[in-house]
Amino acid sequence: MMWFAARISEHLPIFAVAIPLLGGFVTPLIGILGERWSSIKAVDYFALIIAVLTFLTMIPLARGVIGGGEIFVYELAGRIPPWGISLAVDGLSILAGLIAAGITLAVVIFSIGFMKKEEGLDKYYLLLLIMCAGMIGISFTADIFNLYVFFEIMSISSYALVAYYRTGRSLEGSFKYLIMGTIGTVSILWGIAIVYGAVGTLNIADLSVRLVAVSEIAAGVPLSIIFALALFVAGFGLKIGMVPLHAWLPDAYQAAPAPISAVLAGGTTVVGVAALLRVTYLLFDALAIGYMFIGLGLITMVIGSFIALVQEDLKRLLAYSGISQMGYILLGVGLGGLGGIGVSEAILGFEGGMFHLLNNAIYKPLLFLCAGAVIYRVGTSNMEEIGGLAKKMPVTAATFLIGVLALAGIPPLNGFASKWLIYVTGVQVNQPILTVIAVVVSGLTLAYLLKAFTMVFLGPVPAKFENVGKVPVSLQIPMLALAALCIVFGILPGLGLELVGPAWEPLFDHVPYVEAVLGGVIP
Amino acid sequence: MFPLHYPVAILMFLVGVYCLLYRRNLIKMVIGLVLLTDGVHLFLVSVGYNIRNVENPIPPILTERWLDSIPEFAAQSVDPLPQVLVLTSIVIDISIVALALSLVIYIYNKYGTLNPHEIRELRG
Repeated sequence: MMWFAARISEHLPIFAVAIPLLGGFVTPLIGILGERWSSIKAVDYFALIIAVLTFLTMIPLARGVIGGGEIFVYELAGRIPPWGISLAVDGLSILAGLIAAGITLAVVIFSIGFMKKEEGLDKYYLLLLIMCAGMIGISFTADIFNLYVFFEIMSISSYALVAYYRTGRSLEGSFKYLIMGTIGTVSILWGIAIVYGAVGTLNIADLSVRLVAVSEIAAGVPLSIIFALALFVAGFGLKIGMVPLHAWLPDAYQAAPAPISAVLAGGTTVVGVAALLRVTYLLFDALAIGYMFIGLGLITMVIGSFIALVQEDLKRLLAYSGISQMGYILLGVGLGGLGGIGVSEAILGFEGGMFHLLNNAIYKPLLFLCAGAVIYRVGTSNMEEIGGLAKKMPVTAATFLIGVLALAGIPPLNGFASKWLIYVTGVQVNQPILTVIAVVVSGLTLAYLLKAFTMVFLGPVPAKFENVGKVPVSLQIPMLALAALCIVFGILPGLGLELVGPAWEPLFDHVPYVEAVLGGVIP
Repeated sequence: MFPLHYPVAILMFLVGVYCLLYRRNLIKMVIGLVLLTDGVHLFLVSVGYNIRNVENPIPPILTERWLDSIPEFAAQSVDPLPQVLVLTSIVIDISIVALALSLVIYIYNKYGTLNPHEIRELRG
């Protein structure tokens, strides 16, 4: 038994990708068998088992990386880097991986109740699990082309999931998302082509070493490398809904089934940010990426929240607020990456950005799941039509309120802790104007979210919703769990900081990652 | 010889972008998407062709003729890796196009038109 456990633990990084991938493809088979033996729930429970297993593979890895400060490197087929594809699990990877697996688990539990009236559930879970495999693959891989492939796996399954209902809106949202998303992934491929042409390697650690060497030989960064950086930022930025590349995001989020909106908001954007940070900070460190991220972050933050103010659809409002929160993350990591500041300020900025990334992945899915619970009961997410649901759905109302307050940055909830770190960094690097803008946007956030809360949950109940009942338990479990996490990370921010501690280290200091991947030999 | 493949690749990309921006037909937009991706594929293959800066590169196939002169073969042949990457990427592209076309079929059944300007429910 011990021998078996040791064998398994050696191969954990590949299991984390393979379990949801293979499990996903087995799901339709289970669906057929379930139909034959007339057990309708078989598919749901199979998907639940796969999601739980995926999450369980993360735990030993997280314990090793976060507790022990290790970096796990898994060489696929035993090829030695930089020649083969390898998976490398460091702090940033495990944070994104944990978030991806955790949200998939929450969403599968939610879907058991939420999707029970729908047909074709085997395909739904198939796509959901493949999307999860793609997200974990993006987080873990140390090969830049492999990253592109996993990115496409994640993207294609999410395009299909957005179109799940096949109504006019969802088809339109999905087609828009497909066109925009493909332009994004193609620009990532172009960026890969350029850096491959410049240095002739695909391993991220190897690229990091050699691109620095190229800049040193040329006494400055060549124009082609700057162009590649622009392509990477555009490609990943499109996926995370960075302004001005956000046009697809509200449509897709509004049209998708609510659990899928939650995965898109909390899962794909988070791994998108992780991939963006990994690629930009490791490959293009010679350039002033800090300023770029601060600029993009500010635009994203301000525009996202201004458009959110005028929305009438709950999911659309949450989508725009998600865009706005991405701005905070970019601002935080941008402040950390600002050259010429002290080490403690840089660490504070990175810490704030990454902690906000974690928090955003908790309350944003929470809010989308609450919106899903509302849709489940009243059948619409148009805020003009609904009202007074707090009496009818007390649990949903309470968890939504926790999510709202956390997102707006009200102490003692988790959003406050991470936003505070970003505010403090802004002041410490002598850019108080950034802090002022961030605080004002935070106020706007509170305004539109409270407007949403009031319209949906307070006031008189419209006559047609008199008979609305509570939501089933399977919808409540993930909502309550995520709301509990909001409170835990708010009261004990140290716990969250410990979790994100190793996550910013690869951005700040590349040497451990490079050495671990290349096996201590730097060419 | 002036390497013509880079301008052609970029031109293909730009034609694809033009198609996406100005064509008012969903099928033509999908064609634009394919052109755009294939422009980048051509670029990637060209990178492999030019990466070693040799005059007349040969295919990276080790035949008996080269067995005695492996170092020359290594120096003369094109880089095979980008070709493999492009193959992978083409397969990914096929699935995207298949999904896009199936969406177009559903949209046509729903609205009876392929003009994207007439299909507008999501605004704001």
